[in-house]
Amino acid sequence: MSWAGPEDIYLSTSLASYLDRKILVLLRDGRKLMGTLRSFDQFANAVLESACERVIVGEQYCDIPLGLYVIRGENVVLIGDLDTEREELPPHMIRVSETEIKRAQKVEREASELRGTMRKRMEFLDFD
Amino acid sequence: MSGEEDATVREPLDLIRLSLDERIYVKLRSDRELRGKLHAFDQHLNMILGDVEEVITTVEIDDETYEEIVRTTKRNIQFLFVRGDGVILVSPPLRAP
Amino acid sequence: MLFFSYFKDLVGQEVTVELKNDLAIRGTLHSVDQYLNIKLENTRVVDQDKYPHMLSVRNCFIRGSVVRYVQLPPDGVDVDLLHDAARREARGG
Repeated sequence: MSWAGPEDIYLSTSLASYLDRKILVLLRDGRKLMGTLRSFDQFANAVLESACERVIVGEQYCDIPLGLYVIRGENVVLIGDLDTEREELPPHMIRVSETEIKRAQKVEREASELRGTMRKRMEFLDFD
Repeated sequence: MSGEEDATVREPLDLIRLSLDERIYVKLRSDRELRGKLHAFDQHLNMILGDVEEVITTVEIDDETYEEIVRTTKRNIQFLFVRGDGVILVSPPLRAP
Repeated sequence: MLFFSYFKDLVGQEVTVELKNDLAIRGTLHSVDQYLNIKLENTRVVDQDKYPHMLSVRNCFIRGSVVRYVQLPPDGVDVDLLHDAARREARGG
């Protein structure tokens, strides 16, 4: 392999400054994972320790514990360094239980699915 | 070489090279269109455009009637880097033969 | 390599990176690599209310493949230099 020139080594370590820090990983499907970055490579594959998924529905949120995660780089949108000095979320947001957030998620999903099916029915009736 | 332009067209990207410093039209994924002056490009069709007008076309569904409402949103950006993987087509300016 | 070199010269300047998922982040360009992965510092999300989870992110790494646009600072664009570089790049240089 010839890609590992001295400059490339420096550049591919661009996640090095986030090692052992608490980070936020945004995934392509919109999910938000949090945890401690323990390892990474040039594809942005990442190892998250004590990972959790932060689910947000409207003003409610919940952190669901996941354990140790290896994330495939392809699915990574963004890795954010979490500033522990700052508030993690706006003060008006309310922490709820896993059961409650899953219920809220289901309601939200069903509402958007309903819109989709209503649209399909209207398209079906639209004869011109 | 930098003074005189090689005007021969052998491959698609030659047309783009000949559009440098001209206003082009770019159609992008997710119903976006750009018009702007081409300042740089590479083989991936990554580009830098200047004096850009972006038009986004969205279709909303009316909550009551379920009718489709087509909206266009416009915005102007002075200098913009565009990632090539979102490009569907590039149309060079029309010029006299 | 044209854009990699271009962005390297832009380090230290303010840019707005717009992602394919519509998230737009403004910040100081900290570094870039050959995949056009980007690191930003002192970031703020343009539509903060829509992305409350980004509130405590001050520095971030953005995967190049998810970038749609980068809005560039007007004084960070030397048009003549770019034209020459693009012609050189087109010749396979």
